[in-house]
Amino acid sequence: MNAPTHALVAQRPERLRLVGQRRQILAVMHQRLMFGMLVYGGVIALIVARILFLAAFGDHAGRKVGITTLVPERGDIVDRDGHPLARTIDAWVIGIHPTKVIGDKLDIARALARLMPERDAATYHAMLTSGRSFFYLRRRASPELVEAVNALGEPGLAIDREPDRLYPQTSLAAHVIGYTDVDGRGTAGIERAFDAQLSDPATRGEPVTLSISSRIQQALEHELLSAMTTYSAIGAAGIVMDIHTGEVMAMTSLPQLNPNAAGMGSPEARFNRATLGVYELGSTFKPFTLAMAMDSGVVRSMGQMYNCPASLGVGRFSITDTHPFKRPCSVAEIMKESSNIGTAQIAAQVGAARQRAFLDKMGFMGTVGIELKERARSLTPGSNWGGVATMTVGYGHGIAVTPLHLASGYATLFNGGIYRPATLLKIDRTHPAGKGRRVFSEETSYKMRALLRLVVTQGTGKKADAPGYRVGGKTGTAEKYHNRSLVVTSFAGVFPMDEPRYVIVVMLDEPKATADTYGFHTAGWNVAPVVSRTVSRIAPMLGVRPDKRREPNLAEVLPFVHETEH
Amino acid sequence: MSGRSFRSVFMVASCAGAALGCYLVSLRVASERAALEHVETRIVLAQRDIRLLQTEIGTRGRLAQLERWNVKVLALSAPSADQFVEGGFALAKLVAPQDKIDLEAPVVLAAAPADGPRPQVAGRQQRPDEDSDDGGSPRRMMHVASLKRELRPAAEASVYAPRPAPLKAIEIPVIVAKAPAPKAKPAPAPRNTAASDPLAPLGSVAKPSKLAAAASIISGKDSGRKQ
Repeated sequence: MNAPTHALVAQRPERLRLVGQRRQILAVMHQRLMFGMLVYGGVIALIVARILFLAAFGDHAGRKVGITTLVPERGDIVDRDGHPLARTIDAWVIGIHPTKVIGDKLDIARALARLMPERDAATYHAMLTSGRSFFYLRRRASPELVEAVNALGEPGLAIDREPDRLYPQTSLAAHVIGYTDVDGRGTAGIERAFDAQLSDPATRGEPVTLSISSRIQQALEHELLSAMTTYSAIGAAGIVMDIHTGEVMAMTSLPQLNPNAAGMGSPEARFNRATLGVYELGSTFKPFTLAMAMDSGVVRSMGQMYNCPASLGVGRFSITDTHPFKRPCSVAEIMKESSNIGTAQIAAQVGAARQRAFLDKMGFMGTVGIELKERARSLTPGSNWGGVATMTVGYGHGIAVTPLHLASGYATLFNGGIYRPATLLKIDRTHPAGKGRRVFSEETSYKMRALLRLVVTQGTGKKADAPGYRVGGKTGTAEKYHNRSLVVTSFAGVFPMDEPRYVIVVMLDEPKATADTYGFHTAGWNVAPVVSRTVSRIAPMLGVRPDKRREPNLAEVLPFVHETEH
Repeated sequence: MSGRSFRSVFMVASCAGAALGCYLVSLRVASERAALEHVETRIVLAQRDIRLLQTEIGTRGRLAQLERWNVKVLALSAPSADQFVEGGFALAKLVAPQDKIDLEAPVVLAAAPADGPRPQVAGRQQRPDEDSDDGGSPRRMMHVASLKRELRPAAEASVYAPRPAPLKAIEIPVIVAKAPAPKAKPAPAPRNTAASDPLAPLGSVAKPSKLAAAASIISGKDSGRKQ
């Protein structure tokens, strides 16, 4: 009994324990099962929810992620009429992955050398066996070449498209537009100055509209280039500017540069003479001196007389003239015959302080006002601005400025006396004209018209006259400092003189004399005809109507010109 | 009973139907949107192509290239100041008839007093060929009208009457047509002359001659018959 009871007693708790265990296990199993089912159900619910969501709000399977707006990789640059000057296109690029090449490397090298002869087969083979992962073979490849390369059927050859900057007008206004480097970052000109705007996705959809007019630019470039070739000059620069708004209608620097392959241009060609080159521009400065004198009351009439001997000794220098008067001469005559002696005396009367103040207001003492980053500071006598310097600066020596300085100065002188910084952007609602500041009085500005017209009708600039367009202006011939036989000739003119609207500045660097100029290399012989030809081409485009019966009021100056001289 | 028991089924069915309807609407909207996007993409692609082509044309026809062609071939130059005219009036002056002889040539006379005097003029001309009563105009008309050629076949005055003056010729063909010859030509020809006479002094000189010739042929036939 004992034993069974014992056994029973002993077994009972065992069984009970077992039952308890089983229950426990069962409960755990249920729990796990429940959990698994919940997870399973949850996943299914999630999937169903997702499917429903997609059905309700999702896109259908055939949807393409298309381009919805045409935003170029880099903004366009267009001229004032909307003609493109710089655009980004998709160019073909040919490259090679030497490690992925399957075919016979020697054959491929030979085929490549045949298609792209700039490297020989050995070089191509060396590239193929070099073990490097990628080489560019040709950027901006022609479609024919791409087709031929594709026909080789070599998977290691990579043909791709990448954005590339194209300048459709090639060398036209190259120095204004500038160019980009291989990575598409602007390195010169407008490309550099407006790099942020051109590359920012928010703003690059809108083109940058320049004030340049390509037709006027072309006319100026062509005439200037032909003169540069004729007179064997080493360089040239030209600017056409609206005198009222300061908009640069055309600006060129020669020798030409093709911005599509800017790297191949010489440093000389990449140099922008119009804004970065500083030159002593000589007699073209004389109207400024006279205007200063008139404005400050030193010269009260065009008939004011100055003594003009054969040479004028100043300190250890002596100032001479190319057409010496050797008699007292009037202000009008001084300007007409471009007398250094007379102008030096006027400048001396104006005085250094006033001269400096005027030049400063005209923007001649600092960097030239324009958007480009390639712009130069003028070179002035600085602390050495004494009596002699005042006199030489008076006729444009001892001070070196950029041609753009000169154009701005003439614009200031003839638009009623208000200085405005030059701009390369078109003036419109989004870009108003720069704030002006008065430099000369309106009366002075008005009086200068007749005077500069006189220079062209009777004086040194006769060849600059374009019949009917009333060109007025001043020639300038300055010797180079290092070699006095070399000159920089320039002409700064304004047309139409009875109602000035445009200023044109043309400069030739080191022109040589030819048989046609009878051995002269002065401005009246080489740059003045450029002005005449250019103006008669561009003036109709600019809306200036030729009229041979209109003239500025020459009655203000003609009475003071000694007629017997001619 | 049955309605109540099926009520839940209806509920489920209507819910499902509504859900399905909503789904179909959203599906439809999505597909429309996709189609629209497809069109937009195509527009952008077309714009890109246009841009590319414009760039190509611009590059090929760049100003430097045009200038080169001009220097080599066309040799066009800027207009001189004298080539500009003041306005419409100055321009019209350039094309005004310069010869005063043409103005005098009383073509105007011939056309203006059209119906009245002409028969008389014609009559005068036919009988005495070189009569100069009213001025040189009818005589000139006669010159041009190539009357003499027609004079050869028949010499009768009554028959020739139409030839010299074009307007006369209009009348006569009609008469002739009535009588024997059913020719179609005379009908349109007179209209031309009637129109051209006042407008073009030079043209009228040529046209009447044709007309007169036509008339003369007819009248010739006529006269032949008469003869």
